[in-house]
Amino acid sequence: MHPPAPAWLAELNAAATHWGQVERLPPVAFGPALEVERYRLANGLEVALIEDHSAPVVAYHTWFRVGSRHERPGKTGIAHLFEHLMFRETETLPEGEFDRRLEEIGAENNASTWLDWTSYTINVPAESLPLVVGLESERMSRLVLSPEIVASEKEVVANERRYRVEDDVEGTANEVLWSTAFTCHGYGIPTIGWMADIEGFTAEDCRAFYRTYYAPNDAIVVAAGDVTPRALVELVSRAYGGLPPAELPIEDVHPEPPQTDVRTRELRRPTPTEKISVGWHGPAMGDFDHPAVSLLAEVLTGGRASRLHARLVRELEIATDVRVFVGPFRDPSLIEVSVAARPGHTAEELVDALDRELERVRAEPVLPDELERGRARLELALLSGLETAEGKASTVGFYETVLRRPAGAFERLEALAALGPSDLLRVARRYLRADARTVVIVRPEGTPGDATTGDGEAAA
Amino acid sequence: MSAPTHVVVESSAALPLVTFAISSFSGAATDPPGHEGLARLATKLMRRTGGGLDALELDARIDRLGAALSAEVSPSTTTLSGTVLSRSLDALVDLVIDVVARPGLAEAELDRIRRETIAELVEARDDDRGLVRRWFRRKVFEGHPYGRPTAGTPATLARLDRASARAHLERTFASSNLAFAFAGDLSEARAQEIANRIATALRLGPRLADDVTEPTARPGRRLILVDKPERTQTQILIGGLGTHPHDPDHVALHVANTIFGGTFSARLTREVRSKRGWSYGAYSGLPIDRHRQAFTMWTFPKASDAAACIRLELELLEAWRRDGITPEELAQAKSYLVRSHAFSVDTAGKRASHQLDEIVYDLPAGYHSRYLDEVRAVTLAACNEAVHARIPERDLVVTVVATASELQSELQAAIPGLEHTEIIPFDSD
Repeated sequence: MHPPAPAWLAELNAAATHWGQVERLPPVAFGPALEVERYRLANGLEVALIEDHSAPVVAYHTWFRVGSRHERPGKTGIAHLFEHLMFRETETLPEGEFDRRLEEIGAENNASTWLDWTSYTINVPAESLPLVVGLESERMSRLVLSPEIVASEKEVVANERRYRVEDDVEGTANEVLWSTAFTCHGYGIPTIGWMADIEGFTAEDCRAFYRTYYAPNDAIVVAAGDVTPRALVELVSRAYGGLPPAELPIEDVHPEPPQTDVRTRELRRPTPTEKISVGWHGPAMGDFDHPAVSLLAEVLTGGRASRLHARLVRELEIATDVRVFVGPFRDPSLIEVSVAARPGHTAEELVDALDRELERVRAEPVLPDELERGRARLELALLSGLETAEGKASTVGFYETVLRRPAGAFERLEALAALGPSDLLRVARRYLRADARTVVIVRPEGTPGDATTGDGEAAA
Repeated sequence: MSAPTHVVVESSAALPLVTFAISSFSGAATDPPGHEGLARLATKLMRRTGGGLDALELDARIDRLGAALSAEVSPSTTTLSGTVLSRSLDALVDLVIDVVARPGLAEAELDRIRRETIAELVEARDDDRGLVRRWFRRKVFEGHPYGRPTAGTPATLARLDRASARAHLERTFASSNLAFAFAGDLSEARAQEIANRIATALRLGPRLADDVTEPTARPGRRLILVDKPERTQTQILIGGLGTHPHDPDHVALHVANTIFGGTFSARLTREVRSKRGWSYGAYSGLPIDRHRQAFTMWTFPKASDAAACIRLELELLEAWRRDGITPEELAQAKSYLVRSHAFSVDTAGKRASHQLDEIVYDLPAGYHSRYLDEVRAVTLAACNEAVHARIPERDLVVTVVATASELQSELQAAIPGLEHTEIIPFDSD
């Protein structure tokens, strides 16, 4: 049931276009002190706002529900390339003008692409919000995609790939891990795309992608900061009210079958020490198990007192660093542990020590004190991320895009508070299996067994 | 015991969080030659052995409070900083006092940190961006404390012991050598009371004199080639000496640098990235410290574009010095700097940090509070004179991480007036 519309909304709708008619959706509490106001335009564009007048700034973020999961072989990396192209030229803004205008008003301007989404973030002094809303609606519908622009941006993206993957050992290992662990789901596609695909894109590929996914009904606008609901909604309705919705394609999604084997890949790279990345298929972000896995990850690697850090880095002194990543994605993804060996120690030692600790969490409950510490660390991390308008908008945008729950961050805190040792025992046994995982081993070139040169990659 | 001289407070009840920093006026630049790494090792040791506790127990207690506590050492400062859920503030302060006033400095922990640091130095060879930064700094500030390795080397770390760590900490964390900053969910009176509690627990001691001399430029253009196998991409830092916060043209130079390489539409990004697609990022920087720091241009083109990119960067640098900036560019940069300033002061933590920086880096009085007025007052002539006077054109260090056998001659040819080339294996230290 929808809340009563404020009087100003009726006035606004009386003057708005057909697609710019605005409906108010139920607001949602965002923690103890704030609230997310929600609206939807007739063209499907969703609007969320956290009104916060503590500083004279507004974060204005646009999230599109398209990411690398929507790509197909041969055309990988187009969602990310497109993110770059959104900064180039529109029908009314020549090359460079988009950034120049934003800088002139003192705005911070960035974007990111991941598996499920693409996000455009502009943080602006409050008095200049109208210009930003206008610029964002302009590039949602009137982008220029000439062959020259696409060609030069492909060069930039290729250089970004060299930076993040080709010449980065960790980036390479990560890419091999995910592309090995996923056999059919789009999560096996690296968001930045394979190099050959990046080089092969044409302007027509980009235009087709734009027509398909960049539409108001595939997006959510999230604002946080020094603006009232009325002011924001009036701006959005006026700026986007001329845009019709698009017919969005039904996603051709291929659920990943359960992994029932151990897949091992070994790489040789010019790196000083051996490294491992181990991935297990884990729960989706919205799964009941996801908070428990996140809390287990804190127990294992959250801070220097965590189990894996204490054992591998401090006690055995076989590792320089241990990290865990729990995929925050819409579909089931990976739980990933990465460890770098100290000089003189081997990947096999790391795997052995890791296995012993994982056997422990599968065999016996974690201690209440470990749960308490993990929960406190996660609470601190959430609150620390909400200091700025930018942090609030990012948090709301992420949870709304992935889970369609704008206050999902606080709901997650409640879920964490309810977890007990048996929950962590359950998820450790369910997901961290020794007989179903992917292991990537990186060894320095020139070490025993190195029969490859340069790009050697052997499956074992 | 008198109350601490420097206590900064920015209260905000927006979130149930408190952040704080205890900053010392001295850092790694005070490491005696041959004992590089002392400040960092001693500070880590202090952080891990507060109250004589075992490091794991101390970390567990901090975690349990919903707190984070970190120790950082820069050339000029040493800072213990943290964030805590406000309900746990008192308990964290007790632990902080244990750390700064009653560290156990266990010998075994010192040895462990030494071994960790040596392993980290090896691991750091994976990071090309880190490599180019490290070697650039060492060569620009060769012979000066700013050029010495903050983390030390295996040889210097071997010379450090518990006695030298203790002596260093007693000097560094003496009460008169500290400034305190608090932000967030606490009152000014509460912050002052906490600062008093911490200062009372510390030994009395003077503010240490900063006897670091001003760095001087080594003449000529030098190529420092950090040789690493199989690089498809290079990391390039070009620069020399930069700005000093007390320079009369400091703000004008900052504005001019914004135009040259400080934003996404600046000259460097436009020419290198937007027009040619050569590098994902292309920026210039003018960091500040208590003494003159460096001016840098940073790009990372693919190997086959590296020579052309260096040539272009040098041409852009020369044109900037020769022709200056335009009135339109100046108006755009001033508008950007003045209006984006809102994001430098939009949280209590950032505002407190500004005030703390002014104190510990000995910045001119009102460095941050007068910033907007000073930017507005900058003229075209002042910018151009500052660029001409401060930005080096001849005395430049060009540092490149690349595969030397593939690129050395090309890179040398791309640098007119090159006087010296040094090839450094990426795993040489």
